[in-house]
Amino acid sequence: MSIPELVVQNWSRLLAGLAMTVELTIISLIIAGMLGLLFGLLSVSKKKSLRAIALVYVDIVRGTPLLVQAFFIYFGIPAALGIRLDANTAGIITLSLNAGGYLAEIFRGGIESINKGQMEAARSLGLPYSLAMTKVILPQAVRTMTPALINQCIITLKDTSILSIIGIQELTQTGRLIIANNYQAFEMWTIVAVMYFVIIMILTKISKRIERKMSYGKSEN
Amino acid sequence: MGKVKIKNLKKSFGELEVLKDINLEVREREVICIIGPSGSGKSTLLRCINALEVATSGMVEVDGNDITGATDKDINKYRQNIGMVFQQFNLFPHMTVLENISFAPVTLKLKTKQEANEKALKLLRRVDLEEKANVYPEQLSGGQQQRVAIARALAMDPDVMLFDEPTSALDPEMVGEVLNVMKKLAKEGMTMIVVTHEMGFAREVADRVIFIDDGFIVEEGPPQELFGAPKNERTINFLNMVL
Repeated sequence: MSIPELVVQNWSRLLAGLAMTVELTIISLIIAGMLGLLFGLLSVSKKKSLRAIALVYVDIVRGTPLLVQAFFIYFGIPAALGIRLDANTAGIITLSLNAGGYLAEIFRGGIESINKGQMEAARSLGLPYSLAMTKVILPQAVRTMTPALINQCIITLKDTSILSIIGIQELTQTGRLIIANNYQAFEMWTIVAVMYFVIIMILTKISKRIERKMSYGKSEN
Repeated sequence: MGKVKIKNLKKSFGELEVLKDINLEVREREVICIIGPSGSGKSTLLRCINALEVATSGMVEVDGNDITGATDKDINKYRQNIGMVFQQFNLFPHMTVLENISFAPVTLKLKTKQEANEKALKLLRRVDLEEKANVYPEQLSGGQQQRVAIARALAMDPDVMLFDEPTSALDPEMVGEVLNVMKKLAKEGMTMIVVTHEMGFAREVADRVIFIDDGFIVEEGPPQELFGAPKNERTINFLNMVL
């Protein structure tokens, strides 16, 4: 069968796979965003113990492969605790923790990139640290972080394909299952690759637009 | 209100002792200019007054409140009463000029948004920048930014204003406009402590000039005396270099 014929024949399965990929990405990124913000804030804390907690988390995430993290969470933890964890939950936990670690570093970098005079100016007006951070530092930090944030979103979307290995029926796994029936590896992997490519290009375009809108003083023009 | 009392203030950064033993009393409505060579500790002294630097030992009292021994919460409270203007302006780039000024009173729930905006416009009129209310700081010149920074500090109705080399980052042609705003403020009776290299301003506006070198107050007195007939050799040397 030709590629167009294969697309037509498998369209609903491929679309379901893509939908699962997008769903895993979005849920994981939301959780990862919260983890990243939390650990990013810990890593710029004045308290050494809080910084140490953030450091350990980030080092573990960066120091181990995503695949090993997935196996550890899907097979390792349930074995140790005698529980059952379904693949989707394990997948979301893995991706959230993984992206959370990288996002923590992005948040730390963003916060540290803001001139320390900004914090001092806010504090000199009588603002407590928490308000100075949320109202003065973070809004500026997020602007500088935007390219890195978008990059991490794309990486996480692509990382979902690794979760095919624990049996989640996202796009890559869907491709493998179809090939198991029709043996058309070249055509099917082309289709799958193009689908990833298109969705990532769309995301990139959207984010470029957001990035442009966020530069100072231009929001009103 | 606006009294500042500094007693046996010492500040070290690691091994380096920057302030060695500072004693200073500033009266209400008094304008103090602090001069001295770079690295002498002038800015550190100023920053100890609103606890941006934590004193190693000694006491700083503003309006009878001991800021050196205060809890974080109390320090936040005391700071509302102490305006500060920085060398690098430090305006918030993601806010308009008006938002910069009304931000703290609104965020701290001291004023409603409308009250704060009205006050901000009044302050902008005072620093002659009313027409810039809705632009972002990056669209302003350095002198304009510093005037906005002064308005932002005044929005908290402080009893004391601290100026940390407010004209040092400005192009020469913009120094005058900032100093004029400060002169007006001094005339209106604001208690001011100004770290500066502008000897003309110190001579004209200060009630008292403090010369700091190497972490000590070496000499102090009314500007006519300190500039006209300095007694200490280090003061004489410094003034010979800058005048």
